[in-house]
Amino acid sequence: MRREFTGYRRESGRIGVRNHVAVLPTSVASSCVARGVAAEAGAWARATPHQMGASQPDAAREQTERVLVGVGRNPNVGAALVVEFGTEDIDVDDIADRIARGGTPVETLSVREVGGTAAAFQRGRTALDSLNEAAADARRESADASELVVGVECGGSDATSGIAANPAVGDACDRLVAADGTASFSETPEFIGAEHVLAERCADEETRRRLLDRVERREATADLMGVDLRGAQPSPGNQEGGLTTIEEKSLGAISKGGTTPVRGIVDYAERLPVGGGLVLMDTPGYDVESVVGKVAGGAQVIVFTTGRGSTTGNPVAPVVKVTGNPRTWERMRANMDVNAGAVVEGDATIAEAGERVFDEVLAVADGKRTGAETRRMEEFAITEVHPRELAEVRGA
Amino acid sequence: MTENRLTDRPDRPDRIGRESFAGYRRPDSRLGVRNRVLVLPSVICSHVVAEEIAAGSPGAVAAPHDHGCGQLGADAEQTERTLVGLAGNPNVAGTVVVGLGCETVRSDVVAAAVEERGLPVRELTIQDAGGTDACVDRGAAAVADLRESAATQEPAEADDSTAAADDSAATLGDLTVGVVVDDLADSTRRHAHPLVAAFVERVAAAGGRVVVAGNERFAAHPEETRALVGDAAADRLLDAAGRPARATRVGTAAATRGFDAATGFLGDAPVTGVVAYGERVGAGDDRGDVDAANGTNGTNADGGVTILDAPSRVEEAATGLAAAGAHLVLHVTGQGTPAGHPVVPVVKLSGDADTLAAVPDDIDLDARETDAADLESYLLAVADGDRACAERHGLTEFAIARAGPST
Amino acid sequence: MKGRVLDGAALVLADGDSVATALGDLDAGREVRDGDRTVTLADDVPFGHKFALEPLSAGETVRKYGEVIGRATEAVAAGEWVHTHNCESTRGRGDVAATEAER
Repeated sequence: MRREFTGYRRESGRIGVRNHVAVLPTSVASSCVARGVAAEAGAWARATPHQMGASQPDAAREQTERVLVGVGRNPNVGAALVVEFGTEDIDVDDIADRIARGGTPVETLSVREVGGTAAAFQRGRTALDSLNEAAADARRESADASELVVGVECGGSDATSGIAANPAVGDACDRLVAADGTASFSETPEFIGAEHVLAERCADEETRRRLLDRVERREATADLMGVDLRGAQPSPGNQEGGLTTIEEKSLGAISKGGTTPVRGIVDYAERLPVGGGLVLMDTPGYDVESVVGKVAGGAQVIVFTTGRGSTTGNPVAPVVKVTGNPRTWERMRANMDVNAGAVVEGDATIAEAGERVFDEVLAVADGKRTGAETRRMEEFAITEVHPRELAEVRGA
Repeated sequence: MTENRLTDRPDRPDRIGRESFAGYRRPDSRLGVRNRVLVLPSVICSHVVAEEIAAGSPGAVAAPHDHGCGQLGADAEQTERTLVGLAGNPNVAGTVVVGLGCETVRSDVVAAAVEERGLPVRELTIQDAGGTDACVDRGAAAVADLRESAATQEPAEADDSTAAADDSAATLGDLTVGVVVDDLADSTRRHAHPLVAAFVERVAAAGGRVVVAGNERFAAHPEETRALVGDAAADRLLDAAGRPARATRVGTAAATRGFDAATGFLGDAPVTGVVAYGERVGAGDDRGDVDAANGTNGTNADGGVTILDAPSRVEEAATGLAAAGAHLVLHVTGQGTPAGHPVVPVVKLSGDADTLAAVPDDIDLDARETDAADLESYLLAVADGDRACAERHGLTEFAIARAGPST
Repeated sequence: MKGRVLDGAALVLADGDSVATALGDLDAGREVRDGDRTVTLADDVPFGHKFALEPLSAGETVRKYGEVIGRATEAVAAGEWVHTHNCESTRGRGDVAATEAER
């Protein structure tokens, strides 16, 4: 079982599996410029457009900042261009400084300062070319699985997810943790029903308390929309597929994290520890935002299970798609990376499928392109702190 | 530091003397000012495919967004309703709805609703097509199919061939103009408000319709709002429970300024109702999705002003205005936010000296030296096919206002 | 979680689980070997659905993934289909609420 790969050694000491130049808009006002400039420059330029406003309440703005800085500091980013329109509350220089602290070459671009969109394209292109040159200087070095932080996600679930793809990925997470790496899964609403099981697996009381608190908050958030996440599960569709209880559904979801103790739980886009074992992140169930949270937390690779065939990726981290549905594997071959459907067809045990997932993660870390990468599927969105959540933060 | 914008930029639309425009006549006799096939992702997961389909198809435009998943209840409904509303914008010749196959806001549901309105639509999903590559191919075929089956007289522009260019001159009274004022800076209130007010009155007097976004101003002054639109409509506009706080500067400024200062750009034109985000302002017999709870019915058959329940952020407001039926959007911006919109031309107006100096090529009009007649002329030129600044740089942003948190 | 496949027909996710999950549509009467015991299906069990590996008394907990996923609402014989008709959550009847909500 291979554990080594060759990556990009950063000044911070962390190892990247890619060497992108990130183009990070500080608000929706500069998103279109960021997107356009990156598209013109080349495939090595990866924009992270989003819809956060120029003026957000403090807690929401801090979360946006944390995401921008976190993505900029992700070890897969060899250099970064931070783009503002010029009227944002977020200080573009502050974001740039915080990214630069990790040793990443950073430049800033202000659309207003340079004279508008046409000028921003010109100046942005010049900046990107020079950042690309700086990124090209990055040292390639051998590294092993202990330096990997792998984010795990599930989306487009079906009846195969909880019995094939998720347990297989869970097995891979166990291997990663055994190799001293970090595995992280999130989507807090999916813990509901089996959070007591997860709680029991927490390595300390503080983690346990935080976990249960985060689950309660997510439930309350859904409550705002008049939805009882606990009470109306499994859905009729789930039941048709064989899920009988919310515990079963939730256990199927969390099986993707494996069986090792839960060593911690971090907040959305908070830094994930290297060599940290199994660490959860509190995120919504919304896939794209959840993946972005983990990438902002430093995950270099994302493993994403899908029964029905989600095709999403991420601009900065390769997303490895694992499906437990043999039909999805066949029909959407170009968008899928690992076939855990072999378990369903009796051609592989969960352990064998888990080994394949682990091997694929190492191969991807070493440079193999995932289906999503080849197709430039690079979805990006930031979770916005909701007013009621703000009220709780203020009151806390 | 004022430049003489009348003669400054020969490729800008005319500012003088325009009185009519030629639009695109739809089969149901609605008039559009642009003529595009809309490739509409129902969810974030299909937006890349939608963009690839549009990029490869002449006359098509994509509306990529970050929603359709992780949404519950009223939040999901708002996204769904808005997507359907966009497909009904008069500038849209036909719509290809692209989904993934497992999302909350489903492409087949959206497409069915569009079809129910009698509009040309095709639908496909990535999962049904068997992957993203196959979906792009099928999507391109669907776009071509829509272009062929639409009316095919000689196009007015090289890349528009899906509707008849209408030679009969349309005027201001035939337009629905969307208005969004994205800030309440002094320069905006001093220079832009009076101009827009005069223009709004002009449109209403001509029998045209104005739809105005910016719910923070009304939320800040509940009593005056009730007096303006009546209790039932006001209730709708003032119910902010659970909505993310957007355009917070406007909200704060609106609270400290008086109601008149916050809404000065409305002028004296009659306000005939409030329409919910994503819903359409009715037209004659075609009342469409009218909100009976409003108490006013949201229709504006005789011209006048309708208030759209949308934030003052241009990206989200323009989408709401487009869904409401606006042909084009007048974006008043003290800041100079540059983005256009895929479905409606956005004309930018500013009264802020710093902004006009900072981003001159991204602003269409200087409010300090434009009068209502100029503004009308410019908008008619854009309606006739001249490109607004945002259309020339081509950068667009497409966002849908949220009505709840991600879950 | 190692999991083991029984006869190419069903998956037991953890040792000690009281149910197995069908990996295909299984017909009533089908025999499934699990080590030195054989379970004969008393019902048709569709893909993704569960059947009991051992008898369960009413009120007894049902285990899958090595954890409790619910409890039997009536006595269940080995080989019987296990689902909402004879197994309920230990945390309320969310399945009923969901079905009613959709109606």
